[in-house]
Amino acid sequence: MVPPSIRRITGALVFQLDTPLTLLLLLSLTIFSAILVIPLASLLAKPATGISMDVVRGLLEYPYVAWPPLGEWVISVDRGDHKLVILRFKDMGIIPNTLIIAFSVTVLATLIGVLVAYVSARYEFPGRALLRILSLVPLLYTPFVNAFVAYKIFGDNGILYNAMIWFNLGYALEITYIAGVILAQTMMFWPIVYLNTLAALLQVDPSLEEQAENMGARGFRLFRSVTLPLSLPGVAAGAGLVFIFSMEDLAAPIAFKVDRVVSREIVRAIVGSRDIEALSVEVVILAGLLLVSALLWFIAVKQYVSLRQYAMIVRGGRWKPRVTRPGLPMYIVIYLAVFPLVVFSMLPQLGVLVYAFSGSWLGVLPSGFTLDHFRELLRDPNVISGLRNSVIYSTIAITLIVVISTTIAYVVSRVRVIGVGVLDLLATSPLAIPGLSIALGLVILYSIGPFKGSFLDPFSNPAVLIALAYSVRKGPFTTRAVYAGLQQVHQALEEAGMNMGASRSRVLFTIVLPLIGLNVMAGAIVSFVYCMTEVSTSIVLGALNPAQAPITYVIYEYVTAGYGGGAFIHLAAAIVTLIMVLQVIAITISNYILKFRYAFLGV
Amino acid sequence: MAEVRLEGVSKYFGRFKALDRVSFTVKPGEIFTLLGPSGCGKTTTLRVIAGFEIPEEGRVYIDGVDVTFKKPYERNTAMVFQNYALWPHMTVFDNIAYGLKVRGYSREEIRKRVSWALELLGLKGLENRYPLQLSGGQQQRVALARAIVVEPKVLLFDEPLSNLDARLRIRVREEIVLLQRKLRITTIYVTHDQEEAMSISDRIAVMDRGRIVQIGTPWEVYSNPANVFIATFMGRSNVLEGVVVGREANGLYIVDINGLRVYGTSRESLGEGDRVKVVIRNEDAELLEEDRTSPNVVEGKVVRASLIGFAIQARLLLDNGEIIAIYLKNKTTINEGEKLRIYISPEDVKIYKSLETVEV
Repeated sequence: MVPPSIRRITGALVFQLDTPLTLLLLLSLTIFSAILVIPLASLLAKPATGISMDVVRGLLEYPYVAWPPLGEWVISVDRGDHKLVILRFKDMGIIPNTLIIAFSVTVLATLIGVLVAYVSARYEFPGRALLRILSLVPLLYTPFVNAFVAYKIFGDNGILYNAMIWFNLGYALEITYIAGVILAQTMMFWPIVYLNTLAALLQVDPSLEEQAENMGARGFRLFRSVTLPLSLPGVAAGAGLVFIFSMEDLAAPIAFKVDRVVSREIVRAIVGSRDIEALSVEVVILAGLLLVSALLWFIAVKQYVSLRQYAMIVRGGRWKPRVTRPGLPMYIVIYLAVFPLVVFSMLPQLGVLVYAFSGSWLGVLPSGFTLDHFRELLRDPNVISGLRNSVIYSTIAITLIVVISTTIAYVVSRVRVIGVGVLDLLATSPLAIPGLSIALGLVILYSIGPFKGSFLDPFSNPAVLIALAYSVRKGPFTTRAVYAGLQQVHQALEEAGMNMGASRSRVLFTIVLPLIGLNVMAGAIVSFVYCMTEVSTSIVLGALNPAQAPITYVIYEYVTAGYGGGAFIHLAAAIVTLIMVLQVIAITISNYILKFRYAFLGV
Repeated sequence: MAEVRLEGVSKYFGRFKALDRVSFTVKPGEIFTLLGPSGCGKTTTLRVIAGFEIPEEGRVYIDGVDVTFKKPYERNTAMVFQNYALWPHMTVFDNIAYGLKVRGYSREEIRKRVSWALELLGLKGLENRYPLQLSGGQQQRVALARAIVVEPKVLLFDEPLSNLDARLRIRVREEIVLLQRKLRITTIYVTHDQEEAMSISDRIAVMDRGRIVQIGTPWEVYSNPANVFIATFMGRSNVLEGVVVGREANGLYIVDINGLRVYGTSRESLGEGDRVKVVIRNEDAELLEEDRTSPNVVEGKVVRASLIGFAIQARLLLDNGEIIAIYLKNKTTINEGEKLRIYISPEDVKIYKSLETVEV
């Protein structure tokens, strides 16, 4: 028997919707269940079958936990004419390493992001527009290659090292291993905090700050007592995402040769296994841990402010935000700290270009400008197949995304039924759920039972699951754009339609969609780009059948090939350059369409 | 012409009871107004009739058919929204034609009917404009045209004049009445403006805190308010507190207000010693030029006089220390400090037992 509460909710839903919309909603729920909820549930349930005290004990020992820690924090070497200092951090085992890196990166990225956002939102200074544009550059997604650039600059025999030798300072610095990962991820992820905080700051009602000033608060006190608390939701959302992205990042650990982190352990295990039975229970538990810590973060942030509401209030220009001229100390901070910081964070993107257009880059300076790598791309069957696959998967995904996002955003914002909040959660949470956990969940669920050998079995045919996973993981960008659009459509416009005799879905198609069409399109463009650059599920599922692998898997293969990786780095950089161009075009178009600052929560 | 009937309709928003057992019958072809202050439930009542809200209790009938659980698009009501709700992406023509298209009329028929509505509302020549290119008054008419063109069983107006300026408001409300007389569509009209309500309605239902507190013709409601709330809501009045001290053979009660004795009437039956509220409308005070002493003649000193257009409003300090406001129509100047003698007919002194609303 169906419990009465469920019956009542379904009844209310069907009453407020109509048949076509109910069917669309069912389709959306089916996809979310099949690609998100059930796979994640099987991921969490899977260890129950193979777990034992031995496994638990094993997880507290090497390589999962290393106590006492291995290696050195800092190594210093006397090389006669100079002293070399190598900053590296100790290896504490897979689980502590991952958490320490994620935590450090979150703290650093939050500090930098809040500082840059505050300066950019509240001060008027020459170059402010430039600062805002430059601080978007680090957000351009450059899968894997960015981390190799960071390694090139700070790592063994890196540019920093050579520059210090050249200046003959008497000592030289290298940042490698875990310290390097923290540095590289901080460079990559702080703009996420920046964008979310900026959006929140621009949204703070200026009169609230004016009132505080009127009461005598100013300077840091004003910031600490009013401005920061009011923008805390944005800060928290950004910090939460950084934590999750850091945990599942593969690029920096690969570039800085850190094997013992959760993300690499999971990928190594899947790539190496030919069927599901070969997966060790420990790996499944690691993916579960990843998922649980991400969910805890997500719930904590959600408690504070829903990501959805968040997207809705990103609508600049309604108020004139408060802007002041900086005093001398602030000028110094802006030009000597903030600007250099932003330019510094652009180095990976610039480095990608250097790799893509140079013949070789072994020493400090690259040599030989060339377009050969791009010519080579056109002849490389792996690249061509990867690009074709990515375009196909992304196109399928985007079609689904438009349908699902519009349906869910509409239902959530217009239908008053208990439980609609769950839909909202489903639609926005994929942004914050580690793709590696989703991927592993999919592998576990669809390689057993009735699915084994079917068209869904990822070991023979990962294509379907990749496209579906894209549609779930990258849908939130469109969902948020649609929410924002619906927010601006007065509900009376729809009621007038129904009052004139039009059904819900007719109102949706003749009134709502024409009014928010541009929002849907802008969101879809952004989602498309992020499908094209999706990493986690692409690599895990793509590895199961390379013929069906998307372009990000090809990049991964090229940067990890060869001893220590990086054998085809120039070629990978050329692919990534194309992807960057695609992103710039898409972001420009969608920003132009939406006419407001659109916070990209993800990278 | 359809009859609309509500039976014991209650609606909750969370724990808040927005409607409390609302019942009334709107006769076919009449203009029935729901009047009350903001938050009294009048718009919710209208939305229940339109189908945008489903009540937790009670039934709604249109033309004898139970529509309580019918969807908005199955009811054939037509609503004129407070903000007009014109679709900004459609021309005037398309806005008006929408309901006809939904009903599956032929192109030719749609053209004919829209053109009839355009003619009727004086919108000819504007059919290709977009709503944003129209003035507020024109938008209002388009909303009205869109509503009547589908030949609804019931026309619903949700404060349709509140976005117009004061002069336009009076003109448009007269037009609405004339149009309704011509088409004879049963009409339910929501407003918080008692003057608007009295001028357009066949009957008025006054609402307070989710309940209907009085139903009647404008004159019935105005001249014989069911309770103190209505008495003070319809027009301007003074509320004084007193104690019943006696009853005359002709049915008039005698009330002592802080030492001042007045004669008045009551809808309720009162006993000696009852604490009561005495309501006197500002315009019901008559200025006495001659020296006369009789019941309900009181003297007072003008503490404040101000011109309000058709009259002078004077605030009088009575001998018993109370201050009342009165309108003086045939006087050009009044000096503050001047002594005045006024008479209030016992018919115009309304006595109520308490502030509590009474069931109707």
